[in-house]
Formats: sequence, structure tokens, C-alpha cells
Amino acid sequence: METSNNRKFELSGNAGASNFQLMTMALDASISGIIITDHTQPDNPIIYCNKAFENITGYSRKEIIGHNCRFLQAQDRNQKERAVLAKCITEGEECRVEIRNYKKNGDLFWNELYMSPVKNADGEVTHFIGVQNDVTSRKNAEQDLRQQKLVMEKRIRERTKELRESEAFLSSIIETVREGLLVLDPDFNVISANYHFLRTFKVSKEETVGRQLYDLGNHQWDIAKLRDLLVKILPTNNPVVDFEVEHDFPHIGRKLMLLNAYRVEFEGQFKDQILLAIEDITEKREVETRKDDFLSIASHELRTPLTTIKGYVQLLERGMPENASEKFLSTFGKVSLYVERLNSLISELLDVSRIQSGNMELHMTKFDFDVMIAEAVEGMRATVPRHQIILNGQTGASVMADESHIAQVVSNLLSNAIKYAPDSDKIEVNIANVSDYVKVSVKDFGLGMSPEDRKKVFERFYRGVEIQKKFPGMGIGLYICDQIIKNHNGTLWVESEIGKGSIFSFTLPKAGKDSNG
Amino acid sequence: MDKKKIIICDDDEGIIDVLEMILEEVGHTVISVNDSLKVQSVIDKEQPDLLILDLWMPRLSGQEVLRQLRSNSGHDKLRVIVISASRDGEQIANTAGANQFIAKPFDLNNILDSVNALLN
Repeated sequence: METSNNRKFELSGNAGASNFQLMTMALDASISGIIITDHTQPDNPIIYCNKAFENITGYSRKEIIGHNCRFLQAQDRNQKERAVLAKCITEGEECRVEIRNYKKNGDLFWNELYMSPVKNADGEVTHFIGVQNDVTSRKNAEQDLRQQKLVMEKRIRERTKELRESEAFLSSIIETVREGLLVLDPDFNVISANYHFLRTFKVSKEETVGRQLYDLGNHQWDIAKLRDLLVKILPTNNPVVDFEVEHDFPHIGRKLMLLNAYRVEFEGQFKDQILLAIEDITEKREVETRKDDFLSIASHELRTPLTTIKGYVQLLERGMPENASEKFLSTFGKVSLYVERLNSLISELLDVSRIQSGNMELHMTKFDFDVMIAEAVEGMRATVPRHQIILNGQTGASVMADESHIAQVVSNLLSNAIKYAPDSDKIEVNIANVSDYVKVSVKDFGLGMSPEDRKKVFERFYRGVEIQKKFPGMGIGLYICDQIIKNHNGTLWVESEIGKGSIFSFTLPKAGKDSNG
Repeated sequence: MDKKKIIICDDDEGIIDVLEMILEEVGHTVISVNDSLKVQSVIDKEQPDLLILDLWMPRLSGQEVLRQLRSNSGHDKLRVIVISASRDGEQIANTAGANQFIAKPFDLNNILDSVNALLN
């Protein structure tokens, strides 16, 4: 209504020149560029432009008037918006387009153009009015935003893919491991169960996931020790490592299970979930037992003929003719020596196997420590009469330990001292009380050993570099000694210097291995 | 040394042979039994002064032989030396009521000393 009023007002001409001037000033004050083209003339020339149009395009009025608007498009003539404009002009309709235009200096600007026709009383189009705004910055922002969005979408796609891949990777690991894995929520409902779990316990995913752990199957997991683990131990000892549970399961029978549990403590969606790893060690334990049995039987069977050989040798020794030659006697002596060696090899192999499977049994008794040491020293003196074994000190202690094991350690240290000090015939044994321990040191004046050898001397099958060349052995004697002393909660160590000799010492708690906290 | 009657029960002929030789050498009478199922009847018949007994035997274990002896009033005082190559032999021997345990492979002097100590 207002527009038609204005037009009426303008056409009537009553307002005079001042009104027209005012209108022109208003148009010049507009920040939108405004042009009028004359549709009655050929090629629709521009007959009016305001100040803002000059500012937007960089052209001056004199360069604008009389031209068709298309000069603003410079050489950029393939824009589809042109067709829209052409159609409006032909059909005398109004339109709005966003079109790329170029300033006088060649800079691109985005022109948001409203074009509307002016018609005379007969409805014929006489003029077009174009209102234009430079929307370059908005257009750029839009473009940036679109670009940004594309980049973001791409990145999200990539991240999602990565996540999916790593999730697939992790779940393929979880599904492949040969260990049952359960994830529980804080109320012990099963969130997930892996393939191995389902297979081991012969259950399906449907009857497992989403249900309470204790309600699974016919309450087969409602085990007092497992409840203890989850309710009492896990909250204070996270994670719980290698917790053994023996239980009679439906479908699969009596099984020995090794449980490892971990409660997620970091903040986030997984907090307080519990990972439960279940390993069936029934068979493994059986194999270990069978191996132990086998070695026990083997060593027993090997010792039986050895006993006979040793017996015959001793019988021959007793009936030795008086005129036997020196050579005969020394050869005979070697037979006994190697029978003994074979016997100790059999014992050592059995010991190593027991230590490895953790089955070294201790028969703890209280015994007179000094007597045990004196017997061990005396036994060694009888074997090597040429050596001078000096026993210093006394403890007067009664010690709680496996006497035969400790005697084995002392004998082993003594025979090492003799073996590795071929040019020396002196060995010192010192015993003493140290706090609530007894301490034994065996000192030789032999080869000694390098710092590298000192570090490794208690390792299984380790043989000193120099030692290896000159002395036979399997490298298990000191390993066994070390394990025996460790089992008693004592320590065994060595001090040594090349060319001067070695001192092997051990301590042993007098009151037994469980005495000191 | 007095002449005594000793029964040896072991399933290994070699060990029986060695023990027979040494014990006979010092003047004892030795009766050997390699089937542990028969040892009870031999003991009943011979009334020995000492039994040298292996543990790990195929038909009846030495542990079982000893347990039966100790529960039989006739032989609960019979002196018994257990000889074994088994690692837990000493423990088994003590629990079952042996007077002495000697690990295999044994030393003949050790056997003679123990026999002497138990017989005199």
C-alpha cells in the first residue's frame, strides 16, 4: 500500500522538486546499491544509480549510466543466475539472485541482487529496479563454514572409521584369546562375554549377557570363594592376580580355575566395571603333576640299578687283594666317584623339576644347627682327606628348617669350594648368630670369579665362562641352593675376586620361614 | 658278632644279591624275598631278628607290609630297616614305624653299622 501511495504521490507531482530531491537523498543514503534500468530502450540501459552502487562496484556514475548491468560480470559469463535474470526480464517478473560480480579493480564480490519490474497503467514493463548488496563477507563466511563442515565431516568419518577399526581389532583379540573374559557392571551383571568363555563353559551368549553373574546357568558361578574375591578382596586389592578356584561345574565337571580380576578405576563410562579373566588350569596342573610323578618314578628306577652297582663296587673294595697295583686302586676309586656323581645328577634333576613347578616340599623340623654343620663338614672331610676344612664359630642355635635341604646347601657349597680351588687345599667355614638369623660362610682360596659371573651364578644352567672350559657340570647346583634358601626366607650371596677366591654366605631365620614378617 | 637271622624284602634281584653277600660275609643268615606278598608268611615261619624292607614294590608296598607288621602283636617288636630310593622314603618309613631308614643308593658300611646297632 505504501509503495502505491508513494507512486501516486510521485506521479501526481504535487509535492514539487523538494520531494524529489529528498527521495534522491534517501536513495543515496541507502547502503544498498540501487539502479534503475529503462526497459523501453534497447538492451535495457541503466538510467539511474545511487551512491552506494558506486561504492560497491568502484565504478563512477559516468561509467555506469547507459550500460547494461552485465558489465559487472566481467568475463564470468557462465553463471546459472544469468538465466534466472534473463527469464525475469523477458517475463516482467521480480527475482532475487546471488551472483558473482567484479569491481572496477577486478576484485570479485558477491552481489545479492533483487530485481523488480515497474509497470505502467497498461501493465507493460517500463523499468526495472535493482537493489544490490555486497554479501562477499557473508558468502565467504558461508563458504568457510561449508568448508569447515566438510572437513569436520571428513574427520568424523575418519575418526569413526579408526574407532571402528580399533574396536574391531580389540574385539578380535578378545574373541581370539584362549582365556575366558567377562566384563561385569558394578552389580555383577554380565556386560559381555568372549567366545572362549562361552566355549569353555558350554553356554550361549543369550543365556549369559545381561544376567547376574551368580544367576548364570544353575548358579554355577555362585561360588563362595568368588564372592569373596569380588566383594572383599577386589575393592581393596585391585587388581587381583592368579586367584585359584576349584569348583564342580555343570556340563564340564570339576575344574581348577585361575582368576584375574581388575576393576576399572579411571573416570568415564567404564568406571567400576569389572574385568574377569578366567583360565582353566585343570589340565596344566595335571600335566605338572604327571611330570613330577614321571620324574619321581624315573629317578627311583634309575637309582635302583645304581644302588646295585654301588653295592658291588663296595663289595669288591672290601675284598681287594693286598697286592693290587696302584693303578688298579686309583681306577677303582674313580668308579666309585662316578657312581656318586651319577647319583647326584639324578637328585639335581628331580630338584630342578620340583623347583620349577613350585612343588619343593619343605619338611620343617627343629634341629641343632651346629651339629648339622659339623656333620656336613665331617662328611666332606671324609671324602677329601687331603683338604683342610676349618670350622670356626658356633651358634648354639636350634633352627626350624628342612634339615636335609639345608645340609644339601652346605655340602654343595663345600664341594664347590673344593672343585673350584684345585690348587688350594684350605677351606674356611664360619658360622655365627646374626640377630634372629644364623649365618654360614664358606670361603675358598681358589679361582674366584668376575663381576659378571657373580651376578649370574645363581641362575639355572649358568656356567662361568672360564669354569665352563675346565670343570664339568650342569650349572644347577647353586641354583638349587639359592631356591632352597629362598624357600626358607633366607638369602644366599657371594663375594669374590678373581685369583683370590670366593665367599659364599647364607642366612636362615632361626624360628622358621614364617617367623619374620 | 652273634649270628642273626635277617630277611631282605626287595623286588630288585641285584640289591638282594649285594645285601646277601655283605651280610653273609659278616656271618648272618640271610633269607631273601622278592615278592612282598609272601614276606608276611616267611616272617611268621622264620621268626627273623631283623627285616630289611624296600618301599616301592609292585604287588604290596613296603609301607603296607610294615603297617601290617606293626598292627600284628606277634611282630610289632620286629626291628625293621627301610631302604628306598624314593624322595619321601624317610617320612613314609618313620610314619609306618621303621626303626631305621637308609636311602638308596646306600653305603655298605652304613648298612652294616645300622644292622649292628639294631641287633645288639
